[in-house]
Amino acid sequence: MSAWESAEERARALIGRWERRSLGVVRAEDAAEFARAAGESDPRLVDPGRADFMVHPMYVVSLLRAAPGAAPAEFRPDGMYRDEVPGTDGLDVRLMAGGQHVRWLGEVRVGDRIDVRRAVTAVERKSTGFLLLTVEKAYGTEEGTLVEVTERFIVR
Amino acid sequence: MTDQVQFVQPVELTPDAVTLLRFGAVTRNAHRIHYDTEFARSEGLAGPVVMAQLHGCLFHRAAAEFVGPGGRVREVSWQNRAPAYAGDRLVVTGEVRSVDPARGEITLDLVERCGPEGVVCCRGHAVVIPPQDGDVVPL
Repeated sequence: MSAWESAEERARALIGRWERRSLGVVRAEDAAEFARAAGESDPRLVDPGRADFMVHPMYVVSLLRAAPGAAPAEFRPDGMYRDEVPGTDGLDVRLMAGGQHVRWLGEVRVGDRIDVRRAVTAVERKSTGFLLLTVEKAYGTEEGTLVEVTERFIVR
Repeated sequence: MTDQVQFVQPVELTPDAVTLLRFGAVTRNAHRIHYDTEFARSEGLAGPVVMAQLHGCLFHRAAAEFVGPGGRVREVSWQNRAPAYAGDRLVVTGEVRSVDPARGEITLDLVERCGPEGVVCCRGHAVVIPPQDGDVVPL
């Protein structure tokens, strides 16, 4: 079985299995740094000292890990996290982002402790020679979900 | 109602290698396709590529600027169509697809073009909710 076929088999076995990870507590300085790195100039997004400071809505959904980051063993040789794309851990496959659909149900605020839950919901074998994995994610606090994301990964 | 098309004002960014390093650091994204030229080429790319989430930020900004202060971006969606490389000028444009007065929502079609030839690198949409007394004029 090729690495590509192994990834498909593993991903199919993961369909509907939800897992949870903590993204830690949202800090104003980190959210502001994110906004600056994204090229924002709106003072409400880049100046954490303002009374009307807002966490950039894309911040938590762009964050792959919480502080203090990951241990060396958690990375693939390509630098991606071993568990970032479900089913691909340890396999010699190429990974690309396919796109996202982000839906905001509420506002992420400074001090929120954010968890993300995720599950594979679809695995498609494309005739052009790659797998398309669909992963549903829900970001939120103990009080409920704040952001939902449908993310697609290309596995070649 | 009018059939006049409402356009989204262009939003642009030219992320260079430094931008990508900063964005990757703050999001803890260490994927080598974003900073390692030799590795990116081994993956069939012309060089380090822009992160998907950075495309998403530009789509969000285009939607947020369209709806203006007091408005809200409810959804943003994008599909990657072609890689955008470090140093490429990215421009997101768009237009109003539909207005739903009952839900108070406006749906925008958005497209991002990159590089000197304006290759389409992402397509998507956004759903925004204008402020009740805002300056967005429904179609």
